[in-house]
Amino acid sequence: MKKIYLHPLPVRIWHWINALGFIILIITGAQIRFVDQLGLMSFETAVQIHSWLGFILLANYCIWLFYYLFTGKLFKIYIPPFWKPIDFTKRALRQAKYYGYGIMIGDKNPHHSTPDNKFNPMQQVSYLMIMVALIPLQIITGLMLWDPQLFSSLINIIGGIQIATLIHTGLWIFFSAFIIVHFYLATLGHTPMAHIVAMFTGYEEEHDEH
Amino acid sequence: MRTILLVTFLVTCFLLSYFMPTDVALSQSPKDCLRCHSVKTLSKNLEDKKTLSLYVDGSKFENSVHGALECSACHTDITMKNHPRPKKIDSKQALSKQVSQNCLTCHPKDALMKPKMHGELVKRGDPSCAECHGSHYINSMKEWKKTISFSGYCLTCHNLDLYKTLPSKEKLSLKVNYDEIKKSVHSKFECIVCHSDFSKTAHPSYNYKDKAQYRKELSSICKKCHTDTELQKNPIHYQLTKTASCIECHGAHNVKPAKGAKGATDNKYCLNCHSKALSMKMKNGETLSVQVKESDIMSSAHKKQKCIECHKEFSATQHPIRTFESISDYRAKAKDICNNCHQDAVKKYDASIHAMSLKNGNVKASDCMKCHDYHKTAYIKQDKTAGLKLCSSCHSKETEAFKSSVHHTALTQGKKDAPNCSSCHNAHDVLSTNIAKINNACVQCHKNIKNAHNKWLWNPPFRLTTFVDTHFNSASCSSCHISVNKAIYLTLIDKNKKKALTEQEIAKALGIDVKEVKIKLDLNGDGKIQENELWQFMKALKKKINAELAGRIDVVEPNDAHKIVAKAQTVKDCATCHNTKTNFSGKLEINKEGTKPAKYELETKAFNSAYSIPNISDFYVLGTTKIKILDILFFIALLGGIAVPIAHITLRILTAPIRRKRREGK
Repeated sequence: MKKIYLHPLPVRIWHWINALGFIILIITGAQIRFVDQLGLMSFETAVQIHSWLGFILLANYCIWLFYYLFTGKLFKIYIPPFWKPIDFTKRALRQAKYYGYGIMIGDKNPHHSTPDNKFNPMQQVSYLMIMVALIPLQIITGLMLWDPQLFSSLINIIGGIQIATLIHTGLWIFFSAFIIVHFYLATLGHTPMAHIVAMFTGYEEEHDEH
Repeated sequence: MRTILLVTFLVTCFLLSYFMPTDVALSQSPKDCLRCHSVKTLSKNLEDKKTLSLYVDGSKFENSVHGALECSACHTDITMKNHPRPKKIDSKQALSKQVSQNCLTCHPKDALMKPKMHGELVKRGDPSCAECHGSHYINSMKEWKKTISFSGYCLTCHNLDLYKTLPSKEKLSLKVNYDEIKKSVHSKFECIVCHSDFSKTAHPSYNYKDKAQYRKELSSICKKCHTDTELQKNPIHYQLTKTASCIECHGAHNVKPAKGAKGATDNKYCLNCHSKALSMKMKNGETLSVQVKESDIMSSAHKKQKCIECHKEFSATQHPIRTFESISDYRAKAKDICNNCHQDAVKKYDASIHAMSLKNGNVKASDCMKCHDYHKTAYIKQDKTAGLKLCSSCHSKETEAFKSSVHHTALTQGKKDAPNCSSCHNAHDVLSTNIAKINNACVQCHKNIKNAHNKWLWNPPFRLTTFVDTHFNSASCSSCHISVNKAIYLTLIDKNKKKALTEQEIAKALGIDVKEVKIKLDLNGDGKIQENELWQFMKALKKKINAELAGRIDVVEPNDAHKIVAKAQTVKDCATCHNTKTNFSGKLEINKEGTKPAKYELETKAFNSAYSIPNISDFYVLGTTKIKILDILFFIALLGGIAVPIAHITLRILTAPIRRKRREGK
């Protein structure tokens, strides 16, 4: 069984901080929104945790961004080969077919992760969207709600605090659903814990990748 | 024996002399009385602290009509038996009243009552006989009348405190100060020149119902010499003669030369007439008093100003005739006078809710004079309670509310920085509270207030005052500093102009009448604006104007905003507002020109509607105004997120035999 070093340490640290942060942000976000329906903590505590974590994840995101920009991996890993759209679409469909059908009948995962080609086409599209668009958007709208006066000029550009709230809440809804699916997909390795363990150790067993 | 008899005789004589009545012993002829009373210095101190001369000129008395009478004929209460003994006399007047009673023993009352005027005085007993006729030296009336001057004749009685009570219960003084006449332009006139119906033999009696009628009718005397033609030379004066009596301005007997009056210093010339109860009629029939009390000016901030410094078009030679539509028209023009010196204040006032309200025909609205008075202009700045008193004359309800505040406590304690009404509302540019940015007023005094709030009101990880600003911008200070019911207020604004829209502007944009704006808003007429009514209205309005709803949290009853409580009692719990069960009411405000905004009850569901995103784009209170549909979406997404893995696992479990067979097939 050959092991490949798929997740470098900075990525693993970033991932777990992000994962934990996301979960707590989702929960505290729910507490802020359902202030008198959820009794996990007081409104003030929820806001404080949410704000602290928001900034931690902002810093974390910057680490991720710098890491991927400086290593040049952002392009390799995250950007789908838009110059080969047909091939990419075919691969994406094949991947979708695998998750929807192939996995049931025992087909092999059409994608083989390597350090330079870590994500399957579907992952590539979704992670690109999440990392390049959705998380920055969530961070920016989060900042707007964190101190509307300080970011008033930004708020004006997007058309008011209601829009900021709408985006932030909409993404909260999306990430809540996403994180569940993400966790489930992480259990689809050759053993349910394979991908999860790899995310801790960095080494993925090559023979049976999903 | 001879000695005994002599002693007995002497003792008997002594005893006889002692027990014999004195009136027998001494006669009471004037000579006897004059033995003492001819001493010129003989006098007596009266109870009223005045001195009464007791001197009687014997020869003059003998020549009088009463010269043949004994003193006791009149002084019936004085005999040698009881005189000279201390006798209390209250006053000269009291003495003459008492002595005058004795006149009636010889002069029958019936005869005295015959001449009407004399009869009235006798009946009243005031003045007493002696006050007019004198006491010891009364001459023959016939002779006296022949020799005395006309004025002397009149003044014999009229220099006394004579008066007449009119049917209006007013007391009309008939006393004439002869010195005044002597100093007047009429100094050479005898009384009868003016009072020509009076003479030494005729004294008609007039029945005036009140002083006004008296003044008016007596003024007709003046017109005998000062003819209409002469008076018409000065039109304003002539106009006055039609409404006011001559006496009111010129007095009755102390008429001063006109030239002298013109040269009178400063305000005296104007006050000559204007200190009197003058008034002028407005075209609409209102009456405006043009009386000026000198004491008002002297106690005012303008005490050093002369009348003509404000009333520039008037002078000792110029008095233009002015006409005004109404008192409010007059006041609007009078504001220009204030503007000569107080341009800044007037400019600010012109933009105020008071000015607008006045312009819209609310005669009760404040203008310069309503607050500062016409001539009694007080030094307001120095006296803060005076400022409060001034506003309270119209805003009593607000003053009552203010009295329960910490601000009023500080004011009554005389604290230097304590606020009064103008500290928050401004003195001249008083604006409607929804557009006045009243929080700014709080910050004016509570200078370090942002940092003070920032001690606890901040969003980690950075302690920024902008977070305080966020709250200051969307909630009034009173929302937290008073424990009363709160409401979310929405104000219609023009997003382009960044200004509150007025009812008039809205009506114009929608092409309807101002009164129809309410109907357009409250389509079902239930007095409350429902969610869909608001969005329909906004939809229609947005087609015409870039309208938007600006939001803020404030107290439900605006007057409660005056009841600021002590720091310890303020709201510091975030969940007071950031809560889905706040029970805040909803209010929709539409500004009106020149008056308070129209306020409508608003269904709070509107804040939680997705339509509020484009219509209330810049106001959001975490918890309270959240968009409910997003909550539903959240649960759907959550369920979806869970359902996908469950469905996938289920399928994988169901298809496990296929995979096993396939593996085994290998």
